[in-house]
Amino acid sequence: MKKGKKRVSLAISMLAAFSLVLSACGGGGNEAASGGEGTAEKPVDLIWYTIGTPQKDVDKVMTEVSKYTAEKIGANVTMKMIDWGDYQQKMQVLVASGEPMDIIFTSSGGFDYVQNARKGAFMELDSLIDEYGKGIKDTINPAFLEGSKVDGHNYAIPANKELPQQEVWRFNKNVADEYGIKTEGIRTLNSLEPLLKTVKDKAPDITPFAMDKNYVPYVPYDYVIQNLPMAVKLDTTDYKIVNILETPEMKEALTTMNKYYKAGYVAPEAATTGSTTDLMTSGKWLLDRAQTQPLADNSWSASYGYPVVSTPASDAIITNNSVQGSMMAISANSEYPEKAMEFLNLLNTDPVLRNMVDSGIEGTHYNKTADNRVENLPEAKNYDMPSYSLGNNMLLYLNPNDPENKWDEFKTFNEAGVDSPILSFNFDPKNVSSELAAVQNVKEQFWSSLMTGTVDPKTYLPQAIEKFNQAGLEKVMAEAQTQLDAWKAENNK
Amino acid sequence: MGNFLRNVSRNKALLFMVLPGAIWFFFFSYLPLAGTIVAFKEYRVSRKGFWASIFNSEWVGWDNFKFLFSTEDAFVITRNTLLYNIAFIALGLVFSVLMAIILSELVSRKMSKIYQTGMFLPYFLSWVIVGYFVFSFLSMDRGLLNQMLGWFGMEPVQWYSDPKYWPYILVFVNLWKMVGYNSVVYLAAILGIDRSLYEAAMIDGANKWQQIRRITIPMLKPIITIMTLLAVGRIFYADFGLFYQVPRDSGTLYAVTNVIDTYVYRGLMTTGEIGMSAAAGLYQSVVGFTLVILANYAVRRIDKDSSLF
Repeated sequence: MKKGKKRVSLAISMLAAFSLVLSACGGGGNEAASGGEGTAEKPVDLIWYTIGTPQKDVDKVMTEVSKYTAEKIGANVTMKMIDWGDYQQKMQVLVASGEPMDIIFTSSGGFDYVQNARKGAFMELDSLIDEYGKGIKDTINPAFLEGSKVDGHNYAIPANKELPQQEVWRFNKNVADEYGIKTEGIRTLNSLEPLLKTVKDKAPDITPFAMDKNYVPYVPYDYVIQNLPMAVKLDTTDYKIVNILETPEMKEALTTMNKYYKAGYVAPEAATTGSTTDLMTSGKWLLDRAQTQPLADNSWSASYGYPVVSTPASDAIITNNSVQGSMMAISANSEYPEKAMEFLNLLNTDPVLRNMVDSGIEGTHYNKTADNRVENLPEAKNYDMPSYSLGNNMLLYLNPNDPENKWDEFKTFNEAGVDSPILSFNFDPKNVSSELAAVQNVKEQFWSSLMTGTVDPKTYLPQAIEKFNQAGLEKVMAEAQTQLDAWKAENNK
Repeated sequence: MGNFLRNVSRNKALLFMVLPGAIWFFFFSYLPLAGTIVAFKEYRVSRKGFWASIFNSEWVGWDNFKFLFSTEDAFVITRNTLLYNIAFIALGLVFSVLMAIILSELVSRKMSKIYQTGMFLPYFLSWVIVGYFVFSFLSMDRGLLNQMLGWFGMEPVQWYSDPKYWPYILVFVNLWKMVGYNSVVYLAAILGIDRSLYEAAMIDGANKWQQIRRITIPMLKPIITIMTLLAVGRIFYADFGLFYQVPRDSGTLYAVTNVIDTYVYRGLMTTGEIGMSAAAGLYQSVVGFTLVILANYAVRRIDKDSSLF
């Protein structure tokens, strides 16, 4: 017995010793940052993780980028791309395990910004922006920096792009023309019915209303957490958080959706369909709902290969979700946070750098046709980057099809946006995380089938509401309300 | 000490063969055990790296485990996980042994190999692909089954929103995928049985059925017990792909498809609390460990030679 105990304690102390050694290894290197480094002669290395399908020529382009940045700010840049579907999960592991990195793409959808800021993954940037990021402050729409504050601090630099989000009904123009469908006067969900009916009756092989399992009818509320049923009405005065499923607007919308589903306007398996790509490729659809931005009709038509037109389904609202759509944070374990901020500043203000990162090397990947216009060369397929995720969009050169006033249209669109009442309020789920896990499960169970109209809300809505409450939604809502009231008092709303 | 060294030198060939496996276990099973500590912490990233993050995170006691037991779903997911796994173990055993015996009795070696390969193949398919196979049968408007129902003049069935069929579908799909692999293990054991036993039985006038019952099955008993004991240890782990991909994550089916692993995934994919997922994993291993010990103890009481340890 005694011997056994001794062995156990020996094993434990060995483990402890081992882990100490490891932590000592991981901890080193942070202090040794200064000492003549970070100049054009002796540039520091910045590691940049970003989202998108890894491109063949990334290293080649980054070598060119590094030549430019080494001279300007004394930093080399290495970019590591992680594919769309893997980004969230891989980044979570990389960050949690302390992998060296400096700049991280984050957004409300991929590698959640607010949650990771709170977990300590990102560095707080307030003083760094003041010191090294003046250009950012002058260039991008101030609503971006204001709206992306978490608990009063900035943890990332948002990309300057479309600011509000606006829902539209998109129409497949070929189908609409063929069956004489007029899109004037369409705005509400109910106004679609005659259109859907016409197509359903005349063309049985066309899906009148295309949607996947992420579809949610539009109601004039802003969600506290995306796709959880807690929301605040857009024209609220008392800032009360309500259960969206209990609002008259949502009840009516779900009844309409169920009517549409039963009438066969919606694909029978919408509630389990991951994406509508197949439908979009085949062109056998009449309408769907999407988020728009200026000139979106052009880019949709270009990518589908047939004309698509759209009419608004909602106002343009500036929400947390839209403000946090694409951002770059500095990792908490960055060795050179100042250099990283200088780089972000340059990326968001310098057209040469921004376009190099976006389109690659002039003469290899693209040719300039005018001062602010480019056209792709065949090699561009080896460096096809998602523009939205790489910093200030308004510095980008125009493509052959873009109108001259493209970025002015964005500015007009941004100015027309209306702030959501809870813009920049970010719920902290810390005290209710076990309830939230249960609530999330209930959401997964009921959400898609209710929202796509697959089930009858008369029977399923009460069931869903009851299960949500059993899982602790009321407690989560009470916690959110407390935080919102405190936030409201603090911000004099 | 001297005794130990003598032992090592006497068995060095065997020990050398064990080495790769032992090293693998050390790095991937024993070393990470220290990380179990995360289950009792609220994990927060620290600037100083992974180990510093673990040490600096706050202790939260049993809080991370609460979400597993807080709702009535706790009962549903535990029941589903256990019952499905029991069905998989029991039916899997019956069908695997049956297939192994049939394969071993086939006269043509060549045909036997072909059947074996055919049955083995599904094991290598990912659940995502199997999910699409199943979808091509069960799709509401394009599925094979609904079209066949249509030929007989019957109403199409909404397979992905009617829970009552799914216990059978899931068990069937799992058997289809797993039986081939397991039957190979039993087939190897059957081929290892001494042929002279069968010859003696034939001389005594035993027919095929009697040979199988009196020789093959009793000789398979130790391997059957070991395979079953190993499966029992994983009875609290559900095959995530089977329960998530095959029913296409359809909400209306959760009553019969939600298991511990899918519950944890759905609950934590938005908050990403590492502590809570570690807690769920720890809970599963502890229950699995206890069950293996108990099952092994029971086996030892009945037949000492068949037990694992």
